[in-house]
Amino acid sequence: MGQNGSGKSTLMKVLAGHPEYEVTGGTVLFKGENLIDMEPEERSLAGLFMSFQAPVEIPGVNNYDFLLMALNARREKKGLPALEPLQVYPIIEEKVNALNMNAEILNRAVNEGFSGGERKRNEILQLSVLGADLALLDEIDSGLDVDALEYVAKAVNGILTPQSSVMMITHYQRLLDLIKPSYVHIMEKGKIVKTGDRALANYIDESGYKAIATA
Amino acid sequence: MSSPSPALCAAAAASCSTPLRVASPVVRFRRSGAPASVVSAARAAAAAPAVSDDLVLRIAEQLEDSVGASSPLLDPLRSASALSLLSTRWPTRRSNEAYRFTDISYLRSLPISLPSQPLAVAPPASPYASHVHFSDGVLTSSSGAHVSALADIPPGRVRDRAAAALAASAEFADKDIFYDFNAVGAKDVAVVHVPEGVSMADDPVHIMFSYSGCGDGSMMMSNPRVLVVAEKGAEVAIIEEHFGVGQEDGGCYWANPVMEIIVEENAKVVHSYVQQQSFVAAHTKWTVVQQNTSSNYEFVEASIGARLNRHNLHIQQLGPETNTQLSTFHFSAQNKQIHDLHSKLILDHPRGRSHQIHRLIASGTGNGIFDGNIKVNRYAQQTDAGQETKCLLLSSKALVNVKPNLQIIADDVKCTHGAAISGEHDPNAIYFLQARGIDAKTAADALNFAFGAHVINQIPFKPIEKKTLSHFKALLASSRQNEK
Repeated sequence: MGQNGSGKSTLMKVLAGHPEYEVTGGTVLFKGENLIDMEPEERSLAGLFMSFQAPVEIPGVNNYDFLLMALNARREKKGLPALEPLQVYPIIEEKVNALNMNAEILNRAVNEGFSGGERKRNEILQLSVLGADLALLDEIDSGLDVDALEYVAKAVNGILTPQSSVMMITHYQRLLDLIKPSYVHIMEKGKIVKTGDRALANYIDESGYKAIATA
Repeated sequence: MSSPSPALCAAAAASCSTPLRVASPVVRFRRSGAPASVVSAARAAAAAPAVSDDLVLRIAEQLEDSVGASSPLLDPLRSASALSLLSTRWPTRRSNEAYRFTDISYLRSLPISLPSQPLAVAPPASPYASHVHFSDGVLTSSSGAHVSALADIPPGRVRDRAAAALAASAEFADKDIFYDFNAVGAKDVAVVHVPEGVSMADDPVHIMFSYSGCGDGSMMMSNPRVLVVAEKGAEVAIIEEHFGVGQEDGGCYWANPVMEIIVEENAKVVHSYVQQQSFVAAHTKWTVVQQNTSSNYEFVEASIGARLNRHNLHIQQLGPETNTQLSTFHFSAQNKQIHDLHSKLILDHPRGRSHQIHRLIASGTGNGIFDGNIKVNRYAQQTDAGQETKCLLLSSKALVNVKPNLQIIADDVKCTHGAAISGEHDPNAIYFLQARGIDAKTAADALNFAFGAHVINQIPFKPIEKKTLSHFKALLASSRQNEK
């Protein structure tokens, strides 16, 4: 959590290797390897997933083909044979249903003409199909209605296992009611200035970030 | 066909510099059995200010000889075009603005031959009940309701309508030399006539044009012609497919088709056009559309074949509140391949709506040309016209020339246009795919494919869409191999 402009999204993008950022120093160890040395796709294949705050429209790329391509990139990395479109359909369909999405979304171009909520859900669909050891979720609650948020939270909780983690950015308590965090970190000017548990989030909700900055 | 008297020949030839219209019989370039006279006819014409061109006359003469007996309904069109060919010079980049960026010298590189007799070819399979087949320009079969060869239409309303349309084509002001060649060389016309109020939107008419060439070192020229009339309130879907058959690498031929479409009041025509010619073929094509009040015309083009491809797309609004949707995709994948779209949309009436998107990929030493003209004339108030062109250059030697142009005379209109030429994809899109584990190269390939698929996906008939997409995908993969 943190005020607007405190560097939360920047941190996520840097971790996920966004080309807008150049890392000038330091290392980021993920499963024993330095993320900074890896290409964005290598980070993804290593188990890092970032949901985009503003998912990109890709006209002409069918959403289903895109999921298949991403899934097969993972299988290739593991030395498994590529799957055919029909083999994957039941898997993807199940995830689509779990998110209470219309299966029609698979036939559309990636994010093209999607509403804000559809885009966010589409990000979580990618997460639930591809899986992740560490999922970075950037304001997945914005643009979602109450019901949609519940389905999204259920999907995120579904990928949480003792071996995997989720780091998420949010401004709202409702998401924290649904996905219960073990830790709450407060970021200010690019640094974590306070760490606590759920109680810290409640405190921020009541008193605002000023209370911490002056503390 | 009976041969007109020599005197008539000379008179016709000499009259070409005047606006005089020659009545039937058709203008002849040469008297039968007098091969040398074509030049003298040309000389006679050249005595007047108009200039004739030996190459043009030679082709016109060959065409006329090959046609033989044809429907008299074609006569007015044929004589008008024959007359203009007498005074038309072969277009060059220097002399002709419409060919300023388009090098058509390929058409002159080989001698031209014409199919001597209809080939006995089994028509390719069509997934649709209504279909038409042209083999090397010769109309060999047609089946389905409202589909017929001009020659087979019994006297009556349908025949009269076709005759009137063909006679009106003789007056087509924006035509060029290729339109005239077609008019002189067309043996028959496939006519799709959808009567008032009849809807065939889900039952498309599949028009297949197969070309084989003759394999003797010449370029076989063919001039198929189609007329589509959608009467008031009718709905029809047309699938137009041009492709090479026979030889492994595709034959060498010159396809010069013309498609004329008349969309009457409240009628709707959905037109899908796929050009997958052989890579040594030339393809010069006209699509001429007239749209009446409240009519709809939706056009999707995927042109991925031919060594030289020129498409003239001409749409004229005849009444208010028309809707025109144009989506075109051209792919210059092979070295020296030329893809040219010259589109012209003329709006003369109020409240017309149009939206045009053009996509072009050029790789290797491929060359792409787009001239997109939209004319919003004085009375076309409250027009809403949009045009967007995007070109993607996949190699440093690829070349595109784009000339989007809107000419607006009306003062209460909404017109937008955009042109983008780029050598790479949106880095955000590439990154989005990378962030899902797809490497940058595969991501770029996917986006190249998407660039064309964006248009091809609009073909409303699945089997055609899928076939075109897979053909495009294979070409994209092979052009990438060539780049290596």
